[in-house]
Amino acid sequence: MKTCQLRDAKLRGVVAALISVVAATSLAAQSPAPFTMPVPPAAHLVAITNATILTVSHGTIPHGTIVIREGKIAAVGADVAVPAGAQVIDATGRYVMPGIIDEHSHSAVEVVNEITNAITPEVRMADVVKQDMPTIYWQLAGGVTMIHVLHGSANAIGGQNTLLKLRWGLPVDSLFFEGAPPSIKFALGENPKESNFQTFAGHPRYPQTRMGVEEVIRDAFTRAVAYRTEWQQYEAARRALRRGQAEPIPPRRDLQLDALVEIMDGRRLVNAHSYRADEILMLLRVAHDFGFRVASLEHGLEGYKVADEIAAAGTAVSTFSDMWGYKLEAYDAIPQNAALLTQHGVVVAINSDDDERARRLYQDAAKTMHFGGASETDALKMITLNPARILGIENRVGSIDVGKDADLAIFSGHPFAPASRVEMTLVDGRVFFDRTTAPTLEHEMQQLQEQRQHRGPAAAGRGAQ
Amino acid sequence: MHRRTDARGFVLAAALLVAGAPALHAQTATGLAASARGWAIRNVTIVPVTGPRIERGTVVIRNGKIEAVGANAAPQPGDSVLDGSGLFVYPGMIDAGTRLGLSEINSVPGGEDLQELGEFNPQDAALIAVNPNSTPIPVTRSNGVTTAITSPRGGLVSGQAALLDLLGWTPQEMAVRAPAAMVMTYPSTGGGGRFRRARQAPGDQTNRQVLALKAFLGDAKAYADIKARLAAGAPGSQKTDLGMEAMVPVMRGDEPVIFDVETAQQIRGVLALADSFGLKVILRGAHEAWQLADTLAARHIPVIVGPTTTGVAPDDPYDEIYANPGVLAKAGVTIAFQTNDAHSSRDLPYNAALAEAYGLPADDALKALTINAAQIFGVADRLGSIEPGKEATLIVTDGDPLDARYGPKYVFIRGELVPFNDRHTVLYEEFRARPKP
Repeated sequence: MKTCQLRDAKLRGVVAALISVVAATSLAAQSPAPFTMPVPPAAHLVAITNATILTVSHGTIPHGTIVIREGKIAAVGADVAVPAGAQVIDATGRYVMPGIIDEHSHSAVEVVNEITNAITPEVRMADVVKQDMPTIYWQLAGGVTMIHVLHGSANAIGGQNTLLKLRWGLPVDSLFFEGAPPSIKFALGENPKESNFQTFAGHPRYPQTRMGVEEVIRDAFTRAVAYRTEWQQYEAARRALRRGQAEPIPPRRDLQLDALVEIMDGRRLVNAHSYRADEILMLLRVAHDFGFRVASLEHGLEGYKVADEIAAAGTAVSTFSDMWGYKLEAYDAIPQNAALLTQHGVVVAINSDDDERARRLYQDAAKTMHFGGASETDALKMITLNPARILGIENRVGSIDVGKDADLAIFSGHPFAPASRVEMTLVDGRVFFDRTTAPTLEHEMQQLQEQRQHRGPAAAGRGAQ
Repeated sequence: MHRRTDARGFVLAAALLVAGAPALHAQTATGLAASARGWAIRNVTIVPVTGPRIERGTVVIRNGKIEAVGANAAPQPGDSVLDGSGLFVYPGMIDAGTRLGLSEINSVPGGEDLQELGEFNPQDAALIAVNPNSTPIPVTRSNGVTTAITSPRGGLVSGQAALLDLLGWTPQEMAVRAPAAMVMTYPSTGGGGRFRRARQAPGDQTNRQVLALKAFLGDAKAYADIKARLAAGAPGSQKTDLGMEAMVPVMRGDEPVIFDVETAQQIRGVLALADSFGLKVILRGAHEAWQLADTLAARHIPVIVGPTTTGVAPDDPYDEIYANPGVLAKAGVTIAFQTNDAHSSRDLPYNAALAEAYGLPADDALKALTINAAQIFGVADRLGSIEPGKEATLIVTDGDPLDARYGPKYVFIRGELVPFNDRHTVLYEEFRARPKP
C-alpha cells in the first residue's frame, strides 16, 4: 500500500491533501528555504545557430538556425541569416526540440485534491499555484517548458485545472499561460471510489463502486441541464420584460453547475482520469448523452482495448509510457498503448503525473518506438505537439514554427539517445535553464575541493574520512 | 565442419524472424524444453563486454552454455540457426535490486510478500516466497533483464536476498545463488544533502537504532564464535536460533551484506560496522556515495546505484542522482544498477542511460548492467559476459539496450530461447487483432 501511494501520484496527492488539511502549518515549517536562480533577462533578439532542429511539424533541419524576436520564433531554417545585434547561442553538435509539454502534472501547487465531496468542480488549481518550488527548475533541466496542472483524482468530477509556463523565478502571476481554453478534471475507477485508501473524510463517501461513479456524474449533469434551463428561461424573461412589469428573479448562482454548463457549452475541456476500458466507454456514453466531447482520457491505460471507440469520439489519450501493476486497474496497462492508439488515429500524449518522471519525459517518449513501433516523429509529438493539441494551444506552442512561442529544449545529442542530456531550456526565448551555470554535482564537487584546499590537509573534509 | 544450416533449423529460424516467434507464444510460462540441439546466432555483432566487440561473428549455444564465440565459431549439424544480420548480442542484463516474485500488484496485499514485522528478520529468505509465475517476471525478461536480485525489505535486517534467473518452473530452478546476500538498512537521520545538513545531530531514535543494530551484530558474532568453538570440540552447547544461524555465514565473511543507504553519513556508519564486525559489505542506493568515492574504491566496496528515477532532495544538486554513478566508476568503484521494483525492473537499462548522459562512460554503464553485477554476487564465472563456457544467458537486440528506442528480438536464458509470452505482449497481440467494432 505504501508503494502504491508512492508510485501513484494521485494517491500521493490525496495524502498530501490530507496532510495539508490536518497540518498545513507544520508542512510549511518543514519546507526548505526557497531555491533561487538569477532571473534571465527578456529575450528581444536571439539566434540559435548550427543546430540540428527537430521541428516536429516539418521534419529535421541539420545545421539550422532559429531566430527569436520578442519571445516568438521569427525564422527557422538552414539558410536563415543571423540578424545584427542578436544574442547568439552556438548549438554546434546539439539538437533543438520544442519545449516539452507535460500534459498531466501536479507540480507547483500547494495542494492537489479537494477530497471531501464526490464532485468539486467549483475549486480551482489556479488558486494554489506556488511559483518558488525547486521542482520547476528541475523540470526545466529536463527540457519541460509547460505543465498542465491538474486537480487530483479523488472525485468523480474534480476541480478546474490550470496551465503554466515554467517561467522560473518570476512572480506567480507571470506563470499562467493566458488564452488557453479552461479545463477540468474528472476521475473514474479506484481513486474516486476510494479503493486504495479508506475514508479520508473520516467516513466512507458515496460512490464506492463504478456504478456509483457513473451515477454521480450523470446526476451532476442532469442537475446542470435543469440549471441551464432555469438561466435560459430567466434570460428570456428579461429580454421579454415590458415597462411596468416586475423584474424576474434570477436563479441562485451555483459555482459547481456553472462549470458543468461550461462543459456542455463546449467552453471547458474535460480531462478524465480513467484506466479500464469499460469505464472509458461509460464516460464516452455519458458525454454523448449530455452533448459534450471528452477532450482527453488521462492515463487511459486500457485505451488500446477500445481504440476505435476513442477515435470515433474525437477523444485524445494522455498516458504513461510504461507504468503498470501498481494497482489492480493498472494490471492490464501495456507499454504498446501509446503506439497502438496512435495507429488508430487517436491523438496521444505521454505525461508524467510526477515531479521526478517529468524530468525524463523524452526517454519515456522514446520507449514508444521500441514498444509498439511508433515513428520518431510520432514519439516526439507525444511530448510536444500532441499535448498542445489536447490543450487547444497547438497554434501557440508544440513545434518549431515561425510565429510560435520560443519554448525550446537544447540537448547535447538526439533527445532519444542514451548519452543525451538537456544543456539549455528556453521559455519565450529566455534561457531559464543553462547547464553551464546550473548547480550541478560537478559544481558542488569543485566547491568542496576548494574548501579542502582552503582549510588545509589537517581539516580535510568529508571525502577523506 | 561448417554447414550453412540444417533444414529444420532454417525453417524454425525463418519462422522466428518472419513473425516475431508467434508459434512460441503458445508455450508455457518457461521457455522451450531443453534441447540437445544447439543454437547458432550468425552474422551478428557480438558485444562480449569483457573483450572487444566482434563484427559479423557467430555465437554457438549448446547444453545451456556458450560453446563458441567469434568470427570462426561454427555450428554443428542439426543446430538451429538465427540470422543476426543487423542485430547485436549482449549478455543478459542483471538488476541488482528488485522485488520480482514478491510483488504482484502493489495495492493488493494478497500478492505482496516483501516485508515482515519487526526490525530483525535475518531468517527470512526471499527465495521462499518467490512466485515463479508472477506476472512481472516474464515482462522483465522480455526487455532483456534476464537475472535479478530479489530482496525482502523493511526493518534494520530485512532478510536474505536471492539471485534469480528469470526463468524456471520453481523458485529453486530460478535460483542462481540463494542466499546471495543479507539485506540490511543503516538507520537514517533523514539528513544528507549539502553542508548544513551533514552536521545535523542524529535523532534519539536513530541513535537507538544504531545501538540496536550493533547489539544484534554483537549477538550474531558471539553466536558464530560459539558455534565455531563447539565445532572445534569445545565442551558445552548452544540453543539453535534460526535468525542467528542465518547470520553465521555473514559473520564469517562468506556471505555479503547489502546495506541500503542514501547519505554519506549512513555510508560512514556502514564502514565502521564493516570494520568492527568484519563484514563483507555491498552498498545499495547510496546517492551520496560520490562523497566517499576514493575511500570506497580503496576498500573495494561495490555500490549498487539507483534507481536513478528517484526524486531530488530540495538542496541537492539537480543531477546528483544521475551523476553519482559516473563519479564512482571513474574513481574505480565497482558499480551495478538496481530498480528496487518488480514492475519497472524492465527499465533497468534506462536507469543506466540516465547515468550515461551525466558522465558514466558507455562501456562502464554496460559493465555495470552485466559483468559487474555478476562479480559483486560471485557468479562472474557463470554470467555477465559473452565468453565460451559461460551460461548462455544473453540477448539479441536491434541496438544499444540502453537506448529506449531499441530492444531485444530474442532472449536466451541458460541456452533456452525464451518466448515473448509476457502479459503485455499477449494483450498487445490480442487487442491489435481486435476487429473494428
